[in-house]
Amino acid sequence: MTEATFSSGRTFTAGLLALALSGCITSRVEDAREGITGIEAGESIVILAKSYHLGNETEDKYINCIEDALSRGSKGLRVIPHKQFVDSLFPWFEPRTAPAETKGLPKLMQRPGVAERIAEQNVRYIVWLDGDTDRVAGGGSLSCAAGPGGGGCFGFAWWQNDADYNAAVWDLKGLESAGSVTADVSGTSFLPALVVPIPLIARARAAACKGLAEQLRTFIVDDPQV
Amino acid sequence: MRAKLRSLIGAVLSAVLMAGCGANVTLDPVTIPTPLIDPMPLSVAIRIPAEFEHYVHEDEVLGREKWRIDLGRSNAALFSQLFEFMFDDVTVLGPDDDASTLPIDALIEPSIDAFEFSVPSQSKTESYAVWIRYRLRIYDSAGDMYANWPLSAYGKSEQFGLTGDEPLKRAAILAMRDAAALMIMNLDKSTAISALKDRPAATLASGRSTGATSEPVPGEQAAQQKTRPPKRRDVTLPPPGPAAGPAVLSMDADEDDKRDPVPEGSTDD
Repeated sequence: MTEATFSSGRTFTAGLLALALSGCITSRVEDAREGITGIEAGESIVILAKSYHLGNETEDKYINCIEDALSRGSKGLRVIPHKQFVDSLFPWFEPRTAPAETKGLPKLMQRPGVAERIAEQNVRYIVWLDGDTDRVAGGGSLSCAAGPGGGGCFGFAWWQNDADYNAAVWDLKGLESAGSVTADVSGTSFLPALVVPIPLIARARAAACKGLAEQLRTFIVDDPQV
Repeated sequence: MRAKLRSLIGAVLSAVLMAGCGANVTLDPVTIPTPLIDPMPLSVAIRIPAEFEHYVHEDEVLGREKWRIDLGRSNAALFSQLFEFMFDDVTVLGPDDDASTLPIDALIEPSIDAFEFSVPSQSKTESYAVWIRYRLRIYDSAGDMYANWPLSAYGKSEQFGLTGDEPLKRAAILAMRDAAALMIMNLDKSTAISALKDRPAATLASGRSTGATSEPVPGEQAAQQKTRPPKRRDVTLPPPGPAAGPAVLSMDADEDDKRDPVPEGSTDD
């Protein structure tokens, strides 16, 4: 057996093991287009969370994940880090002051320095994220014990996480809504234990991030010529 | 090497154990980005009361977790910076400084009415939240209270790290930043402070018949007052802070006894 064959066999085994050790995930990603999109070279986008004053609980980790996923790769978009954008336009994108609808954009653009600061960063789209990941169900029982001769766990536990996110895309060129992308992911994780616990984790949030970012990139870049 | 590992494990274990027992949180001075606003053409002084500059909140959550939150100089730093951005000319005064000799249009005195917070064990969420209720008392150039504006700010941070210190600090900083945004948006709307520009002091004394009020002076009234000759009175500032009651400035000590207390306004925030 050559070294290359051995290496690919090891990778295959590792992949199979990873697949076997992950939980169950169901995912639905959709978009709703309201206008023609497209992005030119040098134009950038910014990913923001809707205000927590409105009850939104989108995690920082999720925003960072979407930013990374969109900017990565050869087809990566130019993404302005959200903190940099919010600071550069202080105080007009704070949780209390950020526009809730596109009809607030014309007034915002008239404020001193706002249009100039957005133009400097060449921001074409603002993507507003809304939603979070919640544990919606769980059950089973698991007990562990340890003694002088060793220890171990016995039982079975499971839990279900739902990751529901919505991304509203605002086009700053036309000061209008371009549409939205939603990702609904449900992941069930299992933890069987027969002496050693074997976690089979379903990463619902990571799946929602990957799915939403891919769809968002297609939504923004690929204009279907409606 | 082994000793290092042992001390690291000890530190992690103690951090984990401390996570459920509250904490001491001390905030560093807060900075805000330069806001995109046109400053108001006013000359103001800001007087920082001692208790505002060294505000400490102590609380016991669910009778178990003891929290001590020291806001330190963060509030003073925030308000000083903010007003530097919001007004053309700003003088920062200490608690005992006399503003009577300063050629100012207004004196602003911030204070904290209340500080509240919640931790995940209370809210059953993964978030730390902070509410701060500030109060701005605004005095005109004659030293009379012109407006009294309470404003509530809110900050929220999700849990990160091993203990609650950092997320709570972040929530507090976000609450202060929220207060800054609110003041930029609504200070003039809620207090009509811009009407104090070159407002003649003589008319302020007669204006006292309507009471030093939490309601801003209507624009028309302010315009009428501008037609009268300017006159500035010598005033002495009373000691700051809520313990001193409403800070009403006066030339005559007897007059203070006759004056009605200033109503604590609650304008919309």
